[in-house]
Amino acid sequence: MNINGLRRQAPVLLSLLVGIGLWEIAGRSTSAAFMVPFSTTVERLWTMTVSGSLIAQFLDSAELFGAGFVLAVIVGVPLGLLLARVRVLRVGIEPYIMLVYATPMVALIPFILSMMGFGFAPKVLVVFLFAVFPVLYNTVEGARSIKPELIEVARSYRSSEWALWREVMFPYTLPYAMTGVRQAIGRALVGMVAAEFFLSATGLGQIIMTASQSFDTAGVFASILLIGLIGVGLMRLGLKIEQHFARWRQ
Amino acid sequence: MSHASLVAPVPSSASPPPRAAWRNGAALPRIVCGIVLLAVWEAVVRLFAPAYVAKPTAIIAAIPRVIVDPKFFDSVGVTLLAVAEGLAIAMVLGVSLGLLVGRSTAVDRALRHYVNGFYAVPMIIVLPLFSLWFGYSGATRLATIIFAAVFSIIVNVADGARCVPREFIEVAQSFRSGRARMLTDIVLPSSMPYLLAGFRLAAGRALIGAVVAEFFLSIGGIGYYILYNSRSYHHNEAFVGVLLLAGFGVGFELLVNWSTRHFMPWYRRGD
Repeated sequence: MNINGLRRQAPVLLSLLVGIGLWEIAGRSTSAAFMVPFSTTVERLWTMTVSGSLIAQFLDSAELFGAGFVLAVIVGVPLGLLLARVRVLRVGIEPYIMLVYATPMVALIPFILSMMGFGFAPKVLVVFLFAVFPVLYNTVEGARSIKPELIEVARSYRSSEWALWREVMFPYTLPYAMTGVRQAIGRALVGMVAAEFFLSATGLGQIIMTASQSFDTAGVFASILLIGLIGVGLMRLGLKIEQHFARWRQ
Repeated sequence: MSHASLVAPVPSSASPPPRAAWRNGAALPRIVCGIVLLAVWEAVVRLFAPAYVAKPTAIIAAIPRVIVDPKFFDSVGVTLLAVAEGLAIAMVLGVSLGLLVGRSTAVDRALRHYVNGFYAVPMIIVLPLFSLWFGYSGATRLATIIFAAVFSIIVNVADGARCVPREFIEVAQSFRSGRARMLTDIVLPSSMPYLLAGFRLAAGRALIGAVVAEFFLSIGGIGYYILYNSRSYHHNEAFVGVLLLAGFGVGFELLVNWSTRHFMPWYRRGD
């Protein structure tokens, strides 16, 4: 790393070090039932990783997240394009999409639980419901902002409907859809944890629940730190994806 | 790291006011789609689902029963009060921290990663910790609401404070304005649209936070009302609670859009 890079990173490192220092002091000066210091948290995270339980649970969660999220993108993007193309449908359905989008999805979890039980499918449904609306909403927003001229030109060259989708609608809408994908990543993560809390306890959600119920504060802190880092990492990844596709969007 | 991670969506004023719907012919497709959606729901439930599953006709039949139920009334009141209290605290905290982060490079550098980090963390994972700290009580719900709401306000207010036109600041400086007055009289009014956008996000998140906390803690409120009724197979009654939550969600949205248009007609979305 050159000097300039170091100088730019220095305040960040400093602020992180100060934060960790404060955490350590706060943890050492309070009761262990209330808070544990940073060092204990990291130590616990390490023993959980070495024992292998963490990795199995992590993969469990990742499977749930992946299934729900991929389903949301597969459904959200084509449906969004369809709504944008068929104006009557969009005008008709848009207010209802907004309504459902504004509803706190967590409120539906008890219904899903009593109808579908404790299996894998209801949990995927929860993640899907959390993630699909940002994708759908942003895709519709993107597709309706396609300039009519573009479609008219394609039409006057006798483009088929399929070619119109492939050559105009999809490429034009992609950056917008990616904004939706970024938002969906965050919401899918919330959905994943909510499903693991309130449906059947599995994965990372189970680790944190078990720790909390046995008043194992170190375990709670370790799992919050881990899920927090995953959240930040996924958010960074989402931004990278969005920026990658946004390069040619004005 | 770029500023991009701090960019939060600004309210869209794209949807036309409702009265225009009649004139541009949007009303008919909307009504038809609404009826079709409800009919499909009703039919699917009647044909394939057990009798307790919520369906539109039964929900409508349940509404008069539910809204006169004092238990429902109390639940709504408790949750709304907690959300209002939490939002008020989050606003005071969020606006003051947001202004500092937006206007002071030192504070920005010190806090940016924490604000972004906590904003990215799924808010419901703090529930087990908060329940250890504050017990299975309303205090945990309040803390969850504040945690859920405050970071979106900080992020948006900081964005707004950063975007204050340089000329405003320069004019104020040439009139020898003090730093504190600059914040209250120039920066704060100028970042109002961002503040409102942050408030809209925060309100939605606060509502989710309240419901999740009630599920987790089993303490009284609209979330618990939904949980209790759906567990005892009163899905229609429970769904009235969901409708109410949806109403609040949409209500916050409309309130913010309306006040942006009404009080800040000079503000246009950057399109």
